Amino acid sequence: MALNFQQVFDRIREIGSGARARRETLEKLRQQALSLLDSWADKTGQLRDKIERARQADASLRCAIPLAEPLNFHTLPGPVSSASLTLIAADGSQIVPDRHAAVLFGLINVGAVVFSGRSGEAPQVLTDSQLSFDDEVVNWTDGLVALQRDLAERRKLLAISKEYSPPLVTLTDGPLQLWEARESNEVLGYEKALGEYLSVLSQLQERGAITAGYVDKPSSNLLVRLLEVAITSENELASLHEQHTLLGVSDLWLFDQLLQPGERSAVFALQARSKAVYQGSLALHFFYLNVGQAGHPKSARIEIPAWVAQNEGEIDLLHTVLLEQCAILGARPYPYILHRAHESAVVSFQEKQQIEQLLEIELRKSGGELGEISGKQSTKDSGTAGKKRYK
Amino acid sequence: MASIQIGHLLRAGTAGFVAGCSVSQMETPSFGALVRAPIGDNYSVYGLICDIHIDDDGLVRQLVTAAEVREKVIADSRINRIVPVEMSVIAVGYELGGKVSHLLPPRPPLSLDMIYLCSDAELTKFTGAGRFGYFRHILQAKDLPIGGLLAAHILEVKNKLNNPGWVERATQELITLLRDDYPTLMSVLGALGEII
Repeated sequence: MALNFQQVFDRIREIGSGARARRETLEKLRQQALSLLDSWADKTGQLRDKIERARQADASLRCAIPLAEPLNFHTLPGPVSSASLTLIAADGSQIVPDRHAAVLFGLINVGAVVFSGRSGEAPQVLTDSQLSFDDEVVNWTDGLVALQRDLAERRKLLAISKEYSPPLVTLTDGPLQLWEARESNEVLGYEKALGEYLSVLSQLQERGAITAGYVDKPSSNLLVRLLEVAITSENELASLHEQHTLLGVSDLWLFDQLLQPGERSAVFALQARSKAVYQGSLALHFFYLNVGQAGHPKSARIEIPAWVAQNEGEIDLLHTVLLEQCAILGARPYPYILHRAHESAVVSFQEKQQIEQLLEIELRKSGGELGEISGKQSTKDSGTAGKKRYK
Repeated sequence: MASIQIGHLLRAGTAGFVAGCSVSQMETPSFGALVRAPIGDNYSVYGLICDIHIDDDGLVRQLVTAAEVREKVIADSRINRIVPVEMSVIAVGYELGGKVSHLLPPRPPLSLDMIYLCSDAELTKFTGAGRFGYFRHILQAKDLPIGGLLAAHILEVKNKLNNPGWVERATQELITLLRDDYPTLMSVLGALGEII
């Protein structure tokens, strides 16, 4: 037996015994958050000033910045038609080099899907697979691979967008902000990749594209943090990072209460360290969108750049398209086009093995040098047959 | 009518094989049709399509829960997604050096071999050879809808070859082969009654 179940079971009982008390505490905090949302709803100017003071005291502050719409604003999309729209989504996956394998290689795979043209026409599906070998991947880390994958997704969106004219919506899964390591400067080439990404975003803006990142089941509590800033006294702003008065309440829960099916929230700007990088028309904004059904709310966070946030017509179009896309998948709403981009991008374990075998055969044929699989990997492969790591 | 390519072989055994094609190629093959898998210049395996199978996957199961499935999504699923239509084929004979046999083939076709729908000439050649020896393979396949399969096959011959004598002889042969198996005989005759 690999687990000490007695120890785990004791801990599970302990967790269970405190569940009711935690639930009651959370319920009180939730009611407090709802009440704060109402009482601060129209004081957006006051809140913006306070956030600025809080940011000066704590530069790492990450929260929502209210703009013109009240905090508790919610609306259905305006009357726009998506009939002549081109929708492009891209998603990426990767093979991270494995130093225990016989051949050292890495791969970035990007899948893109284009919805355009007549309703009965099949969407276009495109896949780009960039294989890197040996010296090219020696310095690859998980962080660098994630960065290169994200950048490849955005490059692909830009390349495809050049073949279409507006109205044009480009979608990626996850935040609009480029992948960022906690210690970004540890990732070789981060600054260069970021520069290129900002250039890609600007070019998408020039092409008239409505660009968005779709964050499913978001875990950031940007509005809750804003409410915490609101109730923090001025002399406690310096120690804001220690003030978590609404800990446990989530944005997801708040917006599930606030938004009716199909409604979006107010558009907020994002207060984060990255504000220094994403500036002007590239500044990051977001809104929440309930893509669920009556009785089954499901809020997603939609990240958009300032050039989209400042254009009500473009927000309406994006809002409409996202609802249409999520409706395709029925009871578990998520943009269909993003799922298809993921399907075309994902690299299976079998495909990884096939690439490895093809590389080995080619190297043998052409007299190249093959490494050896490590003892550790070899033992793992043989010793764990029938027993898999839980994923 | 010339042979029409209907798919490629996915997996095979002596008693039968499974061919796959994309949904967009699915209009030609039909249940009960005689197909041929040419393996070399002189050797072909013959079979009858005994099942046409379309697998689902997680996405398709989820799509059907939506209030409406859009035309674009249907086209995407049929044209772009890799979910093949699978045709199960029961082996009923082979042709070696120009001679048709109704015995099981000596070796099955191989992965990705092309599968063709038989032309009228091939149908005439196969059904006219011997004395309905291939009926044995069908009658022994207890998991198959024997009556329906025989009726579909006999209907194909009837429509394409316009040979009433063959249909009569085939029915007589089935009655003879099933004389000790009354329930199957009734089921087969019931199905044949729909087409004769």
